[in-house]
Amino acid sequence: MPVVLFLSVALIAACGLIYELVAGTLASYLLGDSVFQFSTVIGSYLFAMGVGSYFSRFIIRGLVAQFITIELMVGLVGGFSSAALFLAFAYTQGFQLILYAVVIAIGVLVGLEIPLLMRILKNRLEFRELVAHVLTFDYLGALAASLLFPILLVPKLGMVRSALLFGLINAGVALWSTYLFRNELGARALLRAACVVVLVALGAGMVGAEKITQAADNNLYADEVIFARDTRYQRIVLTKWKDDVRLFLSSHLQFSSRDEYRYHEALVHPGLASLPGARRVLVLGGGDGLALREILKYPDVTSVTLVDLDPEMIRLFSTHPYLVTLNQHSLTNPRVHVINADAFVWLDRSSESYDFIVVDFPDPTNYSLGKLYTTAFYRLMAKHLSAQGLAVVQSTSPLFARQSYWCIVETLKQAGLKTYPYHLYVPSFGEWGFVLAGLNPYEPPATLPEHLRYLSVATIPQLFQFPNDMLPVDAESNRLNDQVLVRYYEHDWREITH
Amino acid sequence: MSATRRQFLSAALVGLASKTDRPVLGGFIDDGHELGHLLRDRAPFPAAKQTIKIPVVIVGGGMAGLSAAWRLDKRGFRDFVLLEMLKQGGGNARWGENEITAYPWAAHYVPVPGKKAALVRELFEELGVLRDGVWEERYLCFSPQERLYLHGRWQEGIEPVTAATTRDREDFTRFGARMNEFRATGDFTIPMELGAKPSTLDRLSIAEWLDQERFTSPYLRWYVNYACRDDYGALAKDISAWAGVHYFASREPDEKGPLTWPEGNGWIARRLLQKLSPYVRTGAMVHHISREGHRLRVSSGETDYLSERVIFAAPSFLAPYLFEDAPPVHGFVYSPWLTANLTLDRLPKEHDIETAWDNVIYESPALGYVVATHQSLRTFMDRSVWTFYWSLAEGSPAANRQLLLEKDWSYWKEAILHDLERAHPDIRECVYHIDILRLGHAMARPVPGFLGSEERRRLSETSGNFLFANSDLSGFSIFEEAQYHGVRAAEQALGTLQ
Repeated sequence: MPVVLFLSVALIAACGLIYELVAGTLASYLLGDSVFQFSTVIGSYLFAMGVGSYFSRFIIRGLVAQFITIELMVGLVGGFSSAALFLAFAYTQGFQLILYAVVIAIGVLVGLEIPLLMRILKNRLEFRELVAHVLTFDYLGALAASLLFPILLVPKLGMVRSALLFGLINAGVALWSTYLFRNELGARALLRAACVVVLVALGAGMVGAEKITQAADNNLYADEVIFARDTRYQRIVLTKWKDDVRLFLSSHLQFSSRDEYRYHEALVHPGLASLPGARRVLVLGGGDGLALREILKYPDVTSVTLVDLDPEMIRLFSTHPYLVTLNQHSLTNPRVHVINADAFVWLDRSSESYDFIVVDFPDPTNYSLGKLYTTAFYRLMAKHLSAQGLAVVQSTSPLFARQSYWCIVETLKQAGLKTYPYHLYVPSFGEWGFVLAGLNPYEPPATLPEHLRYLSVATIPQLFQFPNDMLPVDAESNRLNDQVLVRYYEHDWREITH
Repeated sequence: MSATRRQFLSAALVGLASKTDRPVLGGFIDDGHELGHLLRDRAPFPAAKQTIKIPVVIVGGGMAGLSAAWRLDKRGFRDFVLLEMLKQGGGNARWGENEITAYPWAAHYVPVPGKKAALVRELFEELGVLRDGVWEERYLCFSPQERLYLHGRWQEGIEPVTAATTRDREDFTRFGARMNEFRATGDFTIPMELGAKPSTLDRLSIAEWLDQERFTSPYLRWYVNYACRDDYGALAKDISAWAGVHYFASREPDEKGPLTWPEGNGWIARRLLQKLSPYVRTGAMVHHISREGHRLRVSSGETDYLSERVIFAAPSFLAPYLFEDAPPVHGFVYSPWLTANLTLDRLPKEHDIETAWDNVIYESPALGYVVATHQSLRTFMDRSVWTFYWSLAEGSPAANRQLLLEKDWSYWKEAILHDLERAHPDIRECVYHIDILRLGHAMARPVPGFLGSEERRRLSETSGNFLFANSDLSGFSIFEEAQYHGVRAAEQALGTLQ
């Protein structure tokens, strides 16, 4: 009997410490200044425990029932504390107020636990034994909790579910106590029912924790998250701040609605406007439909094929009310054919040729994506260009990733193409680079579609001028069997961030 | 007290218990050992129902036999058959295929041939691997080629770097310099017959040579030992120093390689089998060869072939079991191997670097695994097939062959998963199918003294109407040697047939 009792002491001690750690960690995570946060959270928590201990003297009758009620309350408040704090940060202005209110509430309740328990047990043991054992197990529980928290709980379960798990333990101890002290309890059935209700609520919280963490994405992205979905291929997140909508794919910024017109006009028009006879266009990547929007400004273009890996992207950009306004319903235009496929494999199997090819892939951050920037890929692409055709390639930043940019140019040359590198400034990205490539010499266009917001016939030639700090540097070509580009890219961006 | 703590911990861990193991399907692949043992045990075979007169019979449809057939056909000689025991040709280059990818069963790459390997280049030009002196990029091994799991993390490349001391690095540098000296002599060539005769180096083991040269770095010793296990299926102490040096000093690639395909050398076998299909009879085991005047009678199933020349491309040690007049075949030692193909419907979590083509675990007695989907042009991959290689190098080949036959599939399955768990703790959650191939006589082993032996030379120079052609005549089982001996035997046959 006593060992079982002391085990529950260890358990509730562990729970108490976990809530304190959750609050401290969340506060440092969300607000920064971890010394200040931990110090004030621990201070107010300990003080609140003292308050609880003091008030325990006013609880006189029905000690066991009161103890069980307090356990349930600790379980509920503590268990949901982490979720509540995340949501408070995302949706309210008074995070700190709520933080200390939660900390103090848990502290008071936890402070009540041990004095009550000692009084319940006082007739079963000699006082000397009782104090020694209760405190021993109290500290043991704390030790276990402090070790479990960083090693297992945070990495495996996350903050929200860790707190809920310990809420369940509190409620479990409460339910267990209705059996342990059954002789000293009157309304056992009622208390047990209450225990079950709390257990179910916390269990439901565990199941729904995914949604809570999704809402907590707001903490990762600076702006409000208006859409988030994990597809088989990537994590799609849309954020909004005032009139600025941004798309992130697996945490990489793809566009900002404020300046994407610069990027997409510069991607499409210098090439396509120079090909008055262009009828058939191919877009590889670009599932947001924004390059398509620019391409569809040419009435002579009769057919556009878009190949993008992720059907969820296409669905999102064909249906979301804000996004279809942005891309002007380009994905559902009758001239457009959308294909969900891996671009390299699709191109390898296709026998079609195109007058203009837009290659708008994610940056070569790893060897898998790096395959799309190799001589093998560009040779294949060249086979699909019509005699007068041109291709344009998204080529990362010639300023921030200078060697990577010129490596892409060199790779296109090695694939037997003439290259025409150019660049522009996109505020949300910085300096950005493209390369036009074809089998024939390129001449900048003499006319452009109407109502462009960024480009004009007069300014296009300027894009092909590179200032001193972006001039060509030596780079090898990127090949499937020797992907130097991935190494250049990693090196270039490391230089910037250090 | 400790019981209480355990209870506490287990209570805290409720809900965190690992999932039960996934059931894994699979079995042994037909390796022909039952057929082979019929020969060993001199079992009776049915009498022939028909006799076909044909000038040349090739026994064995591995690379040597296919190369002999390729040569005969190329010389315009059509009067021959190739008899293969198994239902599928290819020998050590055979392959499999499932819903995810094709995969190899044994040989899985060819180093980019140097200028001296004229025959290999000739074949590769025919197959479109080499065009106008340029190697087809998509057949060269993609980046990243190799990685090594050492001290709890993956590093790039197989040469151990993690925690290497100055002393280790000095040994590697000196070793590299010694191998360059050997290479400069021009003695070590592929095919090996074109180089110098095996020198005194052949009389000691490569381990003894390392001792002699005072190479003490454990990393270097591991590296050399790994090379011997990988290419010869044996430990450094059991391999001739000449063969050991040959591995490092024979190649002068003009391109970063090696050449490889999803199904490994099965890609070559498949094309040769297709090209030569009119001559190839599969499921046609030869059970007896006898002299009949100046002819040879080759019995296979219910057909006897009466031929002028037999090109014996099966492993040389089999000759005495089939042909009473076969010259004595002594001194051949064969390494037993086990290969397995693991099908994964999700990929293990990677923390350090991306999965390479060849992935080696430092502590493992096995050789690691090769990723069949590595040569895919896809950028996104969430399923794969891994080919796991294990040369049973420790202990005697006979005892290991015994072990291969005795232990059931579950035993090997567990051994494989256990080995992979060193580097991939979550491997059991990813694998759902494992097929295993047991190769009792996978490859010839160049033990000290064998390469320089009179016997080996005599067999590869035999004239008359029974011509040996297996790669084991070179003492090691690689594609280039198999092709060399196959072609040489074909030329000998044609030369004497006028």
